[in-house]
Amino acid sequence: MSAVTGLSFRDSGKLGLLLLISPLLLWLSLFILLPHVDLVMISLRERVAAREYAFSWSNYTAFFTEPLYWRTFMRTAVMSILATALTLLIAFPVAFYIAKMVRGRFKALLFVLCLIPFWVSELVRTYGWMILLRETGIFSGLLQWLGWVDQPVEMLYNDVAIMVGLVYTSMLFMVVPLVTTLEGLDDSLIEAAYDLGGSHFRVIWDVVIPHAMPGIVSGCIVVFMLTLGNYLTPTLLGGKDSLWFTEQIYTQFITRFNWEQGSAFGMLLLILSSFIVWAGLKLSRQSFTRVMT
Amino acid sequence: MQAQSSLKEMDLECRGVTKTFGDFTAVEDISFAIPRGSFFSILGPSGCGKTTLLRMLAGFQSPDSGDILIKGRSVLNTPPNRRPVNMVFQHLALFPNMTVAENVAYGLKRRNVDKHEIKTRVADMLSRVGLPDAGGKQVSQLSGGQKQRIAIARCLVLNPDVLLLDEPLGALDLKLREQMKVELKQLQEKFAATFIYITHDQSEALVMSDQVAVMNHGRFEQVGTPQALYYEPATRFVAGFVGESNRWQASISARDERGFRLQTEAGLSMQADREIGDKSASQNDWGVGKSLELFLRPESISVAPGHQALGTENAYQGHVESVLFDGARSQLLVRIEGALDLLNVSLPQTAEFRSIRKGDSVSVGWSSAQVQCYEV
Repeated sequence: MSAVTGLSFRDSGKLGLLLLISPLLLWLSLFILLPHVDLVMISLRERVAAREYAFSWSNYTAFFTEPLYWRTFMRTAVMSILATALTLLIAFPVAFYIAKMVRGRFKALLFVLCLIPFWVSELVRTYGWMILLRETGIFSGLLQWLGWVDQPVEMLYNDVAIMVGLVYTSMLFMVVPLVTTLEGLDDSLIEAAYDLGGSHFRVIWDVVIPHAMPGIVSGCIVVFMLTLGNYLTPTLLGGKDSLWFTEQIYTQFITRFNWEQGSAFGMLLLILSSFIVWAGLKLSRQSFTRVMT
Repeated sequence: MQAQSSLKEMDLECRGVTKTFGDFTAVEDISFAIPRGSFFSILGPSGCGKTTLLRMLAGFQSPDSGDILIKGRSVLNTPPNRRPVNMVFQHLALFPNMTVAENVAYGLKRRNVDKHEIKTRVADMLSRVGLPDAGGKQVSQLSGGQKQRIAIARCLVLNPDVLLLDEPLGALDLKLREQMKVELKQLQEKFAATFIYITHDQSEALVMSDQVAVMNHGRFEQVGTPQALYYEPATRFVAGFVGESNRWQASISARDERGFRLQTEAGLSMQADREIGDKSASQNDWGVGKSLELFLRPESISVAPGHQALGTENAYQGHVESVLFDGARSQLLVRIEGALDLLNVSLPQTAEFRSIRKGDSVSVGWSSAQVQCYEV
């Protein structure tokens, strides 16, 4: 008797679990898995005549034979890594200050100040940078008013402007995981290292950074992914010559209606980002599960 | 000249140290000196300012006024990483990302000691704390008591002038704590180092220390040997905080050359001697009707079954309200006839008390010299 009730209870538990995870499964299969399978299939075909396609590697070989494509690809990767590193350098002191130096209401206020810029859309934020940096913009006007330059200066449409925009856009995604891990760091560990004769630099290097490593790595992964896949900021701040790989994909899909080539580029970008994240985890000796939990 | 030479033997000295946080005075005008190689405890309830005092000694906080001297030199302008003191933290603060040996070597590395010397000194220190094979282990592999010893080894390997310990036994379970008390004292004697130990646990302070300072509301109530604190508490707070006591609110009903006749609020009448020592002067002007608080140790009460003459100045009849059995620390709760409150009496470990039960009648008594009186 009891075995029967036990069994039915277990069955209803299974059903409950299935119901609970079904939205997630639907989400993953419909919006992640299915598009990627389709992307792979489109990228591996070639149009031979109207509405006639044949299997081909040509979209991938085109990437390696056309220097513009893979140079843009490498440039995007290097710029993204640089943007991630810069974001980390700027966000770390900010996060340390929020997590360890301030208490109570002021701490919450600082955290909200980091968050507020993300209440408006990325487009508006990027437009803000354009108002500051453009030829007729505020910085240019200020420099002329100060008499440091005698004609308008164009500060938009170069790599520095792209970098500024990318770092600015990414800050929050680095600060949040860093604050979370740093808050878990026992103050007495910092004090102990200091008490045992460590200099400020040694204390940060020996105690704070090892403890914050999961937060650093998870922040870096998120920022790197966001930067690599960013389209708006490089296009608006970098102009036509920004040469961001997402623009190549956009051009293939929208301007040239070459879905096959665009799909191949999309896959290559996915492979690239996965590889760099994997390499980053290996280098920092962190496991993906530890970093993401 | 005299002062100069005695100063040199002092490892640590505080002069009028005061620290306030806003309106709250955490440490108020504290002065003391600790001779080299002694075990000095600061005992007080939580919030009494003992941690603030210790953090000032370590350099994590600076006093608002007063001076801290180590080996006769002021260290107020020396940051913690350059002070010749080291601290064992409450939760030990061993570095989890380093091995045991790396933890012990950390301070030596920061002092740029030669690599070979670090190796020998770390190995030597590990064997001196009884963990010669622990060097390669991770901190998480150690037991509570072993972590304790490594935390102390990590500091002692630097030969600090003073070792500060911030309730390091607090996180251990009772059995281990008893064992570590003895071990800590032995370590301190073996290294002949000066230990400053803060705790709220009186037993830790009494067992290990050469000198104990009892702290309350940012001030030292009394500094003395454990025996002095226990047998001659200087203030009402010390009498109540150190050891167990029966306490009464009472007033003086009569006085003579030898002492006072006291009447407690609960209806007990007893005789108490006047003090001979430091407190005697203040007792001169205590007149009839003055309110006092009385303290009497449970173990200074004589007890006998049935009706017996005990031959003490204060003798009463009562009956057992309950027996609180706790091995060697067993107590009887005795209700004295004609009085309202209960008396804690240590249970003698003799055969005649083996069979004592609730409701049995007993005779209790104590000498007038055992009653400690304090102004309210």
